[in-house]
Amino acid sequence: MEVLIGLEIHEQINTKSKLYCDCPTNYRDVSPNTNVCEICTGCPGAKPMPPNQDALDAVIAISLMLDCEVLTNRPVYIQRKHYDYPDLPSGYQRTSLPIGINGKVNGTRIREVHMEEDPGQYDPVSGIVDYNRSGVPLVEITTEPDLRSPEEARLFLRALYRILDFSGKAREEPGTLRVDANISMAGGARVEIKNINSVKGVYRALKYEITRQKSLLTRGEAVRRETRAYLESQMITVPMRTKELEADYRYIPDPDIFPLVIDSNKVEAIKASLPEAPHMREKRLIQQYGIAPLHAKVLTSELALADLFEAVAKKIDPKIAALWLRDKLKNVLNYYGIRCAESLLIPEHMIELLKLVQSGSITPETGEKLLQRMVKEPVSPLKLVEELKLTKIVEEKLLEEAITKAIAQNPQAVKDYLSGKSEALNFLMGRVMKITQSRADSKVVIQLLKQKLKR
Amino acid sequence: MEQIKSRKLTAIENTEAALARIKNLNPKINAFIELNEKGALDTAKWIDEKIKQGKKVGKLAGLIVAVKSNINVTGLHITCASKTLEDYVGTFDAAVVQRIKSEDGIIIGMTNMDEFAAGSSGETSAWGPTDNPSALGHIPGGSSSGSAAAVAVGICDLAIGSDTGGSIRNPASHCGIVGLKPTYGLVPRHGLIDLAMSLDQIGPMARDVYGCALLLEVIAGYNPRECTTLKVDLKDFTKKVGADIKGLKIGIAPQYEEVTVDKKIYQKIERAIEILKDLGARVVQVNLPNLKRALPAYYLINYVEFFSATRRFDGRRYGKRIEDVCGEEVLRRILLGSYISQKEYRGKYYHKAIKTRSVIKHETLEAFKQADVLISPTVPKLPHKFGAKLTPFEMYGYDLFTVPTNLSGICAGVVPVGKIDGIPIGLQIQGKPLDELTIFKIMEAYEKSTRELS
Repeated sequence: MEVLIGLEIHEQINTKSKLYCDCPTNYRDVSPNTNVCEICTGCPGAKPMPPNQDALDAVIAISLMLDCEVLTNRPVYIQRKHYDYPDLPSGYQRTSLPIGINGKVNGTRIREVHMEEDPGQYDPVSGIVDYNRSGVPLVEITTEPDLRSPEEARLFLRALYRILDFSGKAREEPGTLRVDANISMAGGARVEIKNINSVKGVYRALKYEITRQKSLLTRGEAVRRETRAYLESQMITVPMRTKELEADYRYIPDPDIFPLVIDSNKVEAIKASLPEAPHMREKRLIQQYGIAPLHAKVLTSELALADLFEAVAKKIDPKIAALWLRDKLKNVLNYYGIRCAESLLIPEHMIELLKLVQSGSITPETGEKLLQRMVKEPVSPLKLVEELKLTKIVEEKLLEEAITKAIAQNPQAVKDYLSGKSEALNFLMGRVMKITQSRADSKVVIQLLKQKLKR
Repeated sequence: MEQIKSRKLTAIENTEAALARIKNLNPKINAFIELNEKGALDTAKWIDEKIKQGKKVGKLAGLIVAVKSNINVTGLHITCASKTLEDYVGTFDAAVVQRIKSEDGIIIGMTNMDEFAAGSSGETSAWGPTDNPSALGHIPGGSSSGSAAAVAVGICDLAIGSDTGGSIRNPASHCGIVGLKPTYGLVPRHGLIDLAMSLDQIGPMARDVYGCALLLEVIAGYNPRECTTLKVDLKDFTKKVGADIKGLKIGIAPQYEEVTVDKKIYQKIERAIEILKDLGARVVQVNLPNLKRALPAYYLINYVEFFSATRRFDGRRYGKRIEDVCGEEVLRRILLGSYISQKEYRGKYYHKAIKTRSVIKHETLEAFKQADVLISPTVPKLPHKFGAKLTPFEMYGYDLFTVPTNLSGICAGVVPVGKIDGIPIGLQIQGKPLDELTIFKIMEAYEKSTRELS
């Protein structure tokens, strides 16, 4: 059964102040209702300030990076979209008519790019509304219904997020992503799923929805046109209050704001200073540093990681740097479940660490352990090595002692090895590393073990 | 004001006298619905102190200013004369209020008005109607009813009103005072509670042209913190009024007489025109064939924008849901605005009204190619007596001459030109965009000539 999926993505723009007032946008760092004024709380009579120019420039830059045509030298109206919800202080949300149109990401067509304001945050349990977020600028990106499966939607969103990340204009904080998905199957009406907050959520919501719609259709029942909400905790979708039709939003051009007119020269200037697109950077890393395509792909999965790599590659053999960042650092980041941008690792420390490994002062295993600390606190690996006495063991006597100990404590492994199970040697090596706190050179340990067990 | 600067009259004395007059007269007139007694006295004390120390004082030093109840003043109840906002206290000063305060004006209180400025008679306030001090028992006009009545009866020196389709000029005419609706964008709107945002303007009201010009000088000018003020610097109206008006071309359209219901009003206007001719002005004929289309277009725009503006009064933040507590006219506009804007999805009404507005604007600006100003009555009929029942359309009829000014985004002033059966009549002078000065000149010339006569 053919499936048509279109997405509507909202992401915050990382400006310092809100879209129509001076209030700061760091709503996560402050207590509720402190970043507010009469404008973003919609006090009677408060008028919006002229739209934040940085936000508009960011929307233009993002549109260009999504291969959109930017609508220049003509009025772009700011519309009022009316709906009744506690988080909306004025009873309407201001949203621009399209600023960019007809773009493309990985073969999926981008229909429109808009500039919007975020509403406040409503907690239905306490009944409290926090207006700190109210008025934070958003970019809204809508696709054509070009996606054919949840997997395609997932791949598209990853590609889109990579571009937003590389644009340097999106807010680098988790939980700012909001996606609405439209899905229709042959023989059924279009269903909109709202409230999805992660790429994984989009994938799961679509999977669930396809199963639900399929079973309705095969039973000969109708799939109604409706809006459903995704429940993250249960991984299902449920019907929402009857959704307003477009007419119920009663769009009117906001009489308090003159329409935007985007100068084509301005667009050219933004185009000229646009950051490198991720796929271009991927190509360049391969050519410039001679690293493997697979490594380049991982390194350009995130702007901060690509930047870190290029900073480190100035001082360290790029191939070694690539290997370390792709494998060891990625492992550590995945372990903590954080992005490179959220880690506290700085290029200088990474360079120091790799120099320590290359010079043989520490073992690669020690290096990896240090990395675990370095992403959590900005500490110099050199200092850590000195403080914790982590330099590689070079004295043979110390190694001998550790090996003897490992052999004595693991008679079964010794037996296995001697009866021909060569994997047992790796186990013994692991024990030695444990005893030496990874400070032994693994190659030397293997050699010594082999010698010892021959006798 | 000269008396205050020269210390013949202190600001405190002026304020205390005003408060005494208000206490005596307001129960009869109902012009004020909230007084700022302590704030006003404190400000007055401070101004007197500055004068005593020889410090520079502002242009309005010691003058008593009344503010319409739809304009935010910190700490006062900004009710829009509606139950909806009876508990709302201003949390910020409107841009015009900031300017009045920084020029040492004394804000004495909040005036009565038609609920949410949606009226032309001054009868629809939740605090009861305002009486017309110049013609007791008759409506004072609206919606800036309290501001006009307060000025007319002399319980304040100056007043601020707002004008969306005539709300300054209509009561100025009925109460026999001077008022002006500035060019759209000349005066900041930040802090003015919305009626129809694309038409609303704040403007001055005073007993004479000088006071009106002085107050406009204080409140006019670009405000970088809002989107729709104009980047112009027009600051010296008071210095320039008084020049003669020889050679100025007064435009009159045949449609003006046709639509004037009370023919006696038009006779008064013709006599005023004769006086202006004697002062050197020339009369030219202009044509405004679409005059009658202004009202339907205006009300449609008004309904839709007002509906949008009132969505925030949902009962969550200000205590009461507007639809539950408002009066009949406000509810009518909300419901019609809701209906029209919903149908609007298919581009039916609002955009057509906006188009009609363009036609009217074009027609008006064409007329200004022949004339410097357009002169007409302010209202086509005399104010009715309290108790008379008018249909909504009869009520809307009051706005016939004033609405085109707002639709065209231009300016217009009203100056009293006599009385019929004891009821004041105001002459409306519409000017080119940002040509408030010419209006002031004509009003001043007229005022001076009639003062000399009397």
